[in-house]
Amino acid sequence: MTYSSQAGTSPRAAKWLRALGRWAFVLPVLLLNLVVVVIPSVAGLAVAFTDWTGYNVPSFVGLQNFQRLFQDGVFFLALKNNLVWTVMFLTAPIFVGLMGAYILSTIKRGQMVFRVIYFIPYVVASVVNTQMWRQLLNPRVGIGPLLAERGITFLDFPIFGTRETALFGVAFVDAWHFWGFLVVLYLSAMSSVDVELYEVARLDGASRFQQFRFVTLPSIRPTLVFTILMIIIWSSTTFDYVYMLTSGGPANASELMSTYLYDNAFNRFDAGYAATIGMMMSLWVALAVAGFVYLRRRGWEI
Amino acid sequence: MKTRRLSVLVALLILAFGMLGSAAVAQGDVVIVNWWTEDYIDLDQINETLVNPFNAEHPGIQLVITPQTELNNTLRTALASGEAPDILQTPGASFIAEFLKSGLIYDLSAAAAEFGWEEKLLPWAYQSGILEGGLYSIPLTYESMILLYNKTVFEANGWTVPTNLAEFEAVAEAALAAGINPLTYGNVGWQPTNEHLVGIYLNNVAGPENVYKALIGEKSWTDPEFAEAISLLKTHIADNGWFGGSLETYFSLGWDDFWAELSNGQAAMMMIGTWGFRGANEFFDESGQVWDWAPLPVFSENAGAYNYELATGSTLSVNAETANPDAVITVLDWLMSDPARVLTIASGYGYGEFMIPLAFTAEDFPADADPRIVRFFADFAAVTGEGRVGYTTWTFWPADPNVHLWEAVEKVWFDELSVEDYLAEHQALWEQARADGATLPIPAR
Repeated sequence: MTYSSQAGTSPRAAKWLRALGRWAFVLPVLLLNLVVVVIPSVAGLAVAFTDWTGYNVPSFVGLQNFQRLFQDGVFFLALKNNLVWTVMFLTAPIFVGLMGAYILSTIKRGQMVFRVIYFIPYVVASVVNTQMWRQLLNPRVGIGPLLAERGITFLDFPIFGTRETALFGVAFVDAWHFWGFLVVLYLSAMSSVDVELYEVARLDGASRFQQFRFVTLPSIRPTLVFTILMIIIWSSTTFDYVYMLTSGGPANASELMSTYLYDNAFNRFDAGYAATIGMMMSLWVALAVAGFVYLRRRGWEI
Repeated sequence: MKTRRLSVLVALLILAFGMLGSAAVAQGDVVIVNWWTEDYIDLDQINETLVNPFNAEHPGIQLVITPQTELNNTLRTALASGEAPDILQTPGASFIAEFLKSGLIYDLSAAAAEFGWEEKLLPWAYQSGILEGGLYSIPLTYESMILLYNKTVFEANGWTVPTNLAEFEAVAEAALAAGINPLTYGNVGWQPTNEHLVGIYLNNVAGPENVYKALIGEKSWTDPEFAEAISLLKTHIADNGWFGGSLETYFSLGWDDFWAELSNGQAAMMMIGTWGFRGANEFFDESGQVWDWAPLPVFSENAGAYNYELATGSTLSVNAETANPDAVITVLDWLMSDPARVLTIASGYGYGEFMIPLAFTAEDFPADADPRIVRFFADFAAVTGEGRVGYTTWTFWPADPNVHLWEAVEKVWFDELSVEDYLAEHQALWEQARADGATLPIPAR
C-alpha cells in the first residue's frame, strides 16, 4: 500500500508524505552532523575573528588574526613543511605500497600472513610506534651507534635533533606505520582486476612491469586516486608523530600547521589565533577536494 | 481485585524507590573532593600517605586523587567545559593568571586569613599566589635549580666541584679530555626544559639583582648583562656542545637517557631542579655509583655569592564552580598544617614532589631521609633567608614572554636569531604583558 492509495489523500500530500518519510530516515545522521561537524566548524570560524584565550569572553577583533598570520614567519615555515610532508607521502609510501601489493598479489599461499604483518604497524597506537623508533634511532643506544661500531656511520647522528633531518625522520616513522594500510587497499583493488586482462597481456608478450603499468595501474586508478586525495587531506592535519617525536623542533625545523596551532592554543593561551591557523588547514582540505571535484567533472574516472 | 493488587504493588514500589532515594541522600552527606594530579604519581603511595589519613580524620569528606595523562591539557579542556575537579593542580603561576582573568578560580584570601596560611607558608611562596590583591593558589611543591654531579667520577678524576666560571670550564675541559661529557641534559618529552638553562644563566651571569630589576620593569632585557648570559649559554650548549656532546644530542635526549648517562659516568654533571633528587636516587641505585649535589656555580661578578632560584613546581587552586569550597579548603589547610606529614608524603618522590613550602627544620625530616637532600633544604632555607634568591622563569614570567623564552632560544642556539634580536623580542613581549596587566607577583628583595 502506498500513501497515494490512502483514502482522502491528494497526490501532492502523498508526495510530501513520502519525502517526509525519507527525511525522517536521514534526520538522525543530519542532526549528528549538525552537532559534531557544522556547529563546531562555524564556531571555529567565528573564533578566528576573536581574541579568545580558551576561557575568557571573546572580543571581536576583525581581521587582526589573519593580518598577523600573513606576517608570521613560523606559520609559513610550517606551511612549507606541510607541503614537503605531502610530497613525501605522495611518493615513497605510495610507491612502496604499490610494489608491496603487486608482489603480494602474485603470492597464492601465505598472502594473509603478510597482509596482517604489513597492517600491524597501522593499528598499533602512535605513542607505541614513536617510543619504539625513538629508541631505535637513539643517538646513544640506537641502531646508529650499533652500525657505527661496525664501520657503517651514516645513521650515527641524532636524527630527530638535527634540523636538516628532523622532519624527514618523523615522516619516515609515520610512513613506516602507514604504508601497510596502502598495501591492503591496493591489494584489495588488485584482487578485483580481471585475470583475463593479464592473460591477454602475457599472450601479447608483456613483461611483468608492462602488465603492472598497462593493466594493474589503470584498473586500480579509482583506489589510487582516492588514496592520493586522502593523503593530501591527512597531511594537512597530521600531528601525533611530530608532537611525540620532536614537538615541532628543533627551532621549528619540523613544525607543521597542526603543531603550531596546538602551540598557540595550549602554550600561549591564544585560541583565536589558533583557530585562524585551523581555518588555513581547512582551506587546504577544501582546495584538495575542489581539485578532485573539478577533475571528476572534466571526465576523470576517479 | 486485580486492580487493587496492582495498586498495592505500585505503592510498594514507590515506597521502595523512596527509601533507596533516602539512602542516596544519606550517602550524599559525605562531600566528595576531586583532585587530578600528574600521571607519574604513585597512586598507592599517595593514597597511603595522603588520601587515606585525610579521609580517616574527616568522616564527612572523601578526598579522591586521580592521576591524569597530560594533566595540564586535560585540566584546561575540563575547565573550559565546566567539568574540572574541585582542586586545580597547575604547572605554575602564569596559568593561574589566565584562569583568574576568566573567573575560573576561587579567592582563598578569607580562608588564608582564617587559618593563618601566611604564617604557615614560606613568605615568598605565599606571595607567589597573590594576584590582583587576592590569594588564588598555594604551591604544591617548591623547588630550586642545583648542580647534580657524579661523585664517583669526580673522585676518580680528582676534580673538585666548580663554584665559578673558571672552575666550571676547567672541569668541563678535563672531562672532555677524559672522554666524558661535561654535562648531560635534553628536552625530549618536555620542550620547556630549555627554560631551566636560560633561567640558570640569567641568574648566574646577569645576577639575580638584575633579573629582579628586569622583572619589575626597572631594567630592560636588552641590557648587556642579559646578552652576556644568553651568549655564554649559547657558547656552552651550542658552540662547545657541553650538554650531551652536541646541541643536536640535547634535542634527542629524554629523562631516561640523561639520567642513564650521568649515573653510568658517561657524563659528569647535570644542571637540574630539585625534582632531580627522585631521578638521582632511582638511577644511581641501579648503576651503583654515587651522586651528590652543589649550588650552581656563579658565572660572573654580577651574580654575587651563590643563590637559589625560587620556584613553585605545581600550584593548587580551587575551582570557582566547586559545590563545596569549605571542604576543599579543609583539604588545603590539612596539607599545610603538619610539616612532618608533608615530608612523609614528599619522601616518596625524593622530596621533589608534594613538597609544600613550609618552614621546615632539619628535625622535621624523617630519620631515614637522605642526608644530601636534608642538606639541600637546610642550605636553601639559610641562603634564601639571607635574601640570596634567584627567579625561575616558570614562576615569575607571564605566559607569552615565558613561552618565547624557551621557544625562541632554540633559534639563537642554531644561529637563526641573534642574541640581541632575541632579547629585543623578549623585551617587547614583557612590555605587552605589562600593558595587559599580565605580570605576576615578584617578592621584594
